[in-house]
Amino acid sequence: MRENFRTSLWLALALVLALKAGPELLAGPVALAARQVTDEAGRSVRLPERIERVISLAPNLTEIIYALGAENRLVGVTDYCDFPEAARAKPRVGSVLSPSAEQIVALKPDLVLATVAGNRAESVATLERLGVPVYATNPRSVDDVLASILHVGDVLGEEQAALRLASDLRHRLDALGRRLADVSLPRVLFVVWEEPLISAGRESFLTDAIARAGGQSITATFSAAWPRLSLEAALEEQPDFLIFAYHGSPAEKAAERSLRQAQLKHKPGWREFRAVRQGKVIVVSDTINRPSPRLFDAMEELARTLHPEVF
Amino acid sequence: MATPTVNLPGLTRRRLLVICGILAGTLAVTSLVSLSLGAVSIPVWQVLTAMIKWVMGAQDSIPSEYRLILFEIRGPRIVLGMLVGAALAVAGASFQALLRNPLADPYVLGVSSGAALGAIVILIIGRPAEPFLPLAAFLGAGATIAVVYWLGQKAGQLESNTLLLAGVITASFLSAVIMFLMTTLSGRELRGAAFWLMGDLSTPSPLWLLWLFGVLLVGAVGFVYGVAADLNVLLAGEREATHLGVDVARTKTLVYLCASLMTGLAVSASGSIGYVGLLVPHLVRLLFSSDYRVLIPSSALLGAMLIVLADTLARTVVAPTELPVGAVTAIAGAPLFIYLLRKRSMG
Repeated sequence: MRENFRTSLWLALALVLALKAGPELLAGPVALAARQVTDEAGRSVRLPERIERVISLAPNLTEIIYALGAENRLVGVTDYCDFPEAARAKPRVGSVLSPSAEQIVALKPDLVLATVAGNRAESVATLERLGVPVYATNPRSVDDVLASILHVGDVLGEEQAALRLASDLRHRLDALGRRLADVSLPRVLFVVWEEPLISAGRESFLTDAIARAGGQSITATFSAAWPRLSLEAALEEQPDFLIFAYHGSPAEKAAERSLRQAQLKHKPGWREFRAVRQGKVIVVSDTINRPSPRLFDAMEELARTLHPEVF
Repeated sequence: MATPTVNLPGLTRRRLLVICGILAGTLAVTSLVSLSLGAVSIPVWQVLTAMIKWVMGAQDSIPSEYRLILFEIRGPRIVLGMLVGAALAVAGASFQALLRNPLADPYVLGVSSGAALGAIVILIIGRPAEPFLPLAAFLGAGATIAVVYWLGQKAGQLESNTLLLAGVITASFLSAVIMFLMTTLSGRELRGAAFWLMGDLSTPSPLWLLWLFGVLLVGAVGFVYGVAADLNVLLAGEREATHLGVDVARTKTLVYLCASLMTGLAVSASGSIGYVGLLVPHLVRLLFSSDYRVLIPSSALLGAMLIVLADTLARTVVAPTELPVGAVTAIAGAPLFIYLLRKRSMG
């Protein structure tokens, strides 16, 4: 009798709970229409099922969005988003480092795409507080760039286009790797900034990009992403090539190269580089600085310059 | 403070109220204009409508992007600007009396470097999240205040020249430590730190911080205002002040602590915004009076207004990109200060 009483009590309790939870259980699938994804910075982001309005906070992300054919849904870009040409006509939200939260909110985005390396954490925190979902990418290697393309395709619902683009780029990367399989790797110094001398370190995708293009960066093991090194230390290493990035047509790049070469020959300190004396100063397209599909063009270009014998 | 005061001519309660009324009115108009201007312009009448709806509790009838921009972005930013401006201006006026030096500003004693160091340490540890950053900055400021106070004592008394030297040395030592840390930091943190050193209001502060700041600020300004008459006497010299019955040691300690607290609060909320603390008290002296009973409340109101004005410029001149407000106050402040200096030496 007592057992029965207890059982019926439990049953009653279960029934009450079920009734209480019922409407919520029914409402469940509707609420789940929003997706929960984890971005490349490890943040958990809640996104609507379909993204209709996206804002890009970095030039490389703008390029990826265009490459995926999702530009119709791109409603805002930064002042630095200069490629493709059409991106310049999109509404601007400010610079990469200090975008205007007001402008972003006014454009009513479903999603803002940001980069860990380029944007400030404060900007992301501000948008988060205002209820704007932010997906942050964080490519630190060439493989990561491919992964970023897939992730952006995934959040934008352009999985097929992203898969095509990424596997296309992957094939080009593999082909490049096969070509360079037997070459010896020259030691290079990539000059991000001349005074003070800044190069790319272990944490930068640039270091990996140089390696894939058949070069061995003398700063590859530096712990900072953009380490500052003394000219003395660089001279001690005597790299085989000095690499500079430049924005311009092939003819302009060639002109820039002769100019650099001539300048460095007379510059105190720099003229002591064996590479300068031997005319081994290289100018490569500045898309080597952008973790976008055009990074692969720049890698091929650099490989061709470093190893003309295998092309 | 039942101390006999040097009676400065012309200060009546009525005059004080008129001056403060004018400044408060200007501050209100400036804020309203500032609310309507920005990367997205909102007509003033729409701002007013939205504010009325907000007060009536009908937030839902405000268009959502206006609601976000006015009450989540611009509004809190303007409030923070006012608090920071008032704190820096009153701190500046206080330090000028305390050190009997017209060049003294809120940063002269190294408080901002201490706060910046605290913030940068947090950036290195990698926790730029809300409670940590302002808290670390405030702890940095507090530690610096304590050290400089200890260094600035001579025979148990706060001695102006010793204090000034202790502050300058501490500030340059802390700046050197910051430079060392910044060169060893990698790129990303460095950019955050640079904004910190410039002074920037673009990151919205959480509501609790605004409340805390507001309450502490009112308390500190109240304390300094309470000893304003003593500060007038103190400017004539410490011995004279003692003869007139002012408790010099107590007044100096109180003013030092309040001014440092205000500076610490301002820096931990917005980084080091320059020139306001130096310029505003001098502007008030020129416009109204150098009586500290006028100087303290007027500096608070004028400082608040100038920061709101400067930040409005920072938001609009190259919109949608935003300038750090510290850059605007420095660009506008330095020439204005030189102008004041010339005018005063001419007249």
